[in-house]
Amino acid sequence: MSKVAKARYAAAAVPGFTHRTAMEEAARCLLCHDAPCSAACPAGTDPGRFIRSIRFRNPKGAAETVRENNVIGGSCAWVCPYDNFCEEACSRCGIDRPIEIGRLQRYVVEQEQVQKMKILKPPAKKKGVKVACVGAGPASLACAAELAKAGYAVTIFEAEEKAGGVLTYGITPARLPQGVVDQDVAAIRGLGVRFALHTRVGADISLDALREQGFAAFFLGAGLWKAQLPDIEGTDLAGVYAASGFLKTARESRGRTGLAGKRAVVVGGGDVAMDCATTAKLTGAAHVAVYYRRTLEEAPANMREIQYALSLGISIVTNFAPVRCVGADGKLQYVEFKGRDGNSSAQVAADAAVFAIGQAPQDMRQLADLSLTEKGTVKTRSGGKTNLPDVFAAGDVANGGKTVVEAVAEGKKAAAAICKRLDALHEGRGK
Amino acid sequence: MALRKDLSIDYLGVKCENPFFLSSSPVGGNYDMVAKSYEAGWAGVFFKTVGIFVADECSPRFDNNGKEGLPWVGFKNMEQISDKPTELNFEYMARLKRDYPDKVLVSTIMGSDEDEWKQLAKMSEQAGADLIEGNFSCPQMTSHAMGSDVGSSPDLVKRYCEAVTSVTKLPFIAKMTPNITNMNIPARAAVQGGAKGISAINTIKSITHIDPEHMTAMPVVDGKSSISGYSGAAIRPIALRFAAQLAQDEELKGVELSGIGGIETWRDALEFLLLGCRNLQVTTAIMQYGYRIVEDLISGLSHFMDERGYGRVEELLGRALPNIIPAEELNRDFRILPAFDYRKCVGCGRCYVSCFDGAHQAIDWDEKKRRPVLNDNCVGCHLCLNVCPVQACVTPGELRFKEGRQQGPVTMKTQYE
Repeated sequence: MSKVAKARYAAAAVPGFTHRTAMEEAARCLLCHDAPCSAACPAGTDPGRFIRSIRFRNPKGAAETVRENNVIGGSCAWVCPYDNFCEEACSRCGIDRPIEIGRLQRYVVEQEQVQKMKILKPPAKKKGVKVACVGAGPASLACAAELAKAGYAVTIFEAEEKAGGVLTYGITPARLPQGVVDQDVAAIRGLGVRFALHTRVGADISLDALREQGFAAFFLGAGLWKAQLPDIEGTDLAGVYAASGFLKTARESRGRTGLAGKRAVVVGGGDVAMDCATTAKLTGAAHVAVYYRRTLEEAPANMREIQYALSLGISIVTNFAPVRCVGADGKLQYVEFKGRDGNSSAQVAADAAVFAIGQAPQDMRQLADLSLTEKGTVKTRSGGKTNLPDVFAAGDVANGGKTVVEAVAEGKKAAAAICKRLDALHEGRGK
Repeated sequence: MALRKDLSIDYLGVKCENPFFLSSSPVGGNYDMVAKSYEAGWAGVFFKTVGIFVADECSPRFDNNGKEGLPWVGFKNMEQISDKPTELNFEYMARLKRDYPDKVLVSTIMGSDEDEWKQLAKMSEQAGADLIEGNFSCPQMTSHAMGSDVGSSPDLVKRYCEAVTSVTKLPFIAKMTPNITNMNIPARAAVQGGAKGISAINTIKSITHIDPEHMTAMPVVDGKSSISGYSGAAIRPIALRFAAQLAQDEELKGVELSGIGGIETWRDALEFLLLGCRNLQVTTAIMQYGYRIVEDLISGLSHFMDERGYGRVEELLGRALPNIIPAEELNRDFRILPAFDYRKCVGCGRCYVSCFDGAHQAIDWDEKKRRPVLNDNCVGCHLCLNVCPVQACVTPGELRFKEGRQQGPVTMKTQYE
């Protein structure tokens, strides 16, 4: 008989390490000469270095390595798909199984907080030049931190009430507690970065107005927040949600999704779909099923997330695509699916249907006259350069939706490109 | 950004950027090795011992001793002093001093008679060494006129120290062997002979394993083996004991100590500093992990000093010495009962097993709940705390005074890692 895990909404999905268990795990590390884990981290977090510090009883030094290399190292420790990056590269795989790098990073970031460390400080040398970052998600946070370290006066403009973007509003808290995101944001504030919350650039304030205020460059890390619903009948019924709105509401209401004892259907096969399903389950839904139009092998979701969903008793049905949502009195009653084989069909009773069928950016032309791709993402070249010389973009809004760690890497690269441009302008002025 | 304290400290009048040095051993035997170690952050080197005697080494020459899946708890080494020509070694040293003038170069030497000691001392001075160390302690020399056979004879130690100090003004350090009951006797002899510093400890004579396949010790050299020096984490407690005894010796007051023996982490380093060693030497951990370990030695010690408000390494020296007292002077009026945190307990019963079989049958085992229950037999030995696998599950709890004893304030350790 399968034993289904029971958990509260926002209860950590994986327990953390203690000093002792962290040391036991660090003692398994082979302390490679040219650590392949470090080479495999897009954000340059340097796990080889911080694990060595744990091994040599220096957790504070380990915390410095993480925070200095990856300013949102706390959040990454929780949500990074390690098995595709550092843990896959781990030399220990040649012996038995990789070091649990993600969990060790989580321990290190916990130590930063327990020991009340303030690792990042504003640089002594200021440039006296203002840069604006639009959106307070991973790419923006990473970019802002690098710019602040270089001496720029950075303001992050965020439409929502809290900073963090997808970290705060798009991931179930069992996988990423808000406290971890807040700790990352506090580290960035510690660099002197300012946050203008509740301020949607393009609506509340225009890019031109910011230019007039003296902002010399702009970074767009606006993410993918357009509510995406399929073009089928019945999506206007009460109980039909787009994934981004569903996850955001769940987090903002601390898990009061109103699904207690009810049936939920999630449509999609990515990490977001798994997050929606686990959120539905953890907030009390009696029955949750994920429907995906292709096979499990084709599903973009990380296997760990799929396994986590299964462990909670969520079923996953493959090769079924939604045809229509059917309801009565404006309320959803069931979702109808058609099989990929052309023969099967299903009518699945549901109080809620959540569509996690890919993400898209909001209309970026409201912001500026940007060149966009067909999907609406911002067209960029190396370093996040756009068609506008003072505007740079990276993260999901440019790459169409990749991992948090890749957004950090791109944000850092964009910061370097912004520094290069501003330095060149500054030199030109000096001449 | 990453915290770095000023860890500089004077050692025998020489300014060292930190107390961390390579010891005279395989880790510092040529130019390239020492140069790389300097770049990594080591403040100085005790260059691999140079003699007129040039060693002829065996193969293989190392073994290690582990416990429960953890190798290298202890390490056995059969290498003797340098196997390179005497002149070449001094050439390396001269180049190192020229290219790295701010790093500290200690020439470690070993002669087989007074003339050799004098000659080597003069060559050290000419090479530009800042200090000279006399190796009286290598336990695996093929000549009995050298090494630990000399170091356990106070007369020879004194005579050779006099030989060296008669020909050089450079401060001289005598490196002691632990293969002796009382190290203070040869240490005093060295000081009488003019030594200004004592290094301790060199390796401990050992057999790590007997190989049942070849019926000899490890490593197997053409079917045979020899007793030779043991080092690494396993010997740190023994090294600390010798360091404390040297530091507490009134006759050795003012003699500067260099601590050696199983230093891997900043915590190990701190322990030697707290016993009064103002210089620290490392080999085995470097052989296992590389020069890079100095990064965490520097960072970890910096964080500790920052956390506790110490400005200089100097302030740490000997802080633990007043509290290391003879057994007969300990307060024996009380016992501290262990406290069990049942929320943390995982029910392995190891405390029960150890308490019954190795202590005082003071823990009953609740078979239904599978949890330990303390009974009245407890003497407060804390074997349970030592054996418990869960962090902070068994901790020091209630303080009880023995009947009829004076009650008073008792300092209790409560935090265990």
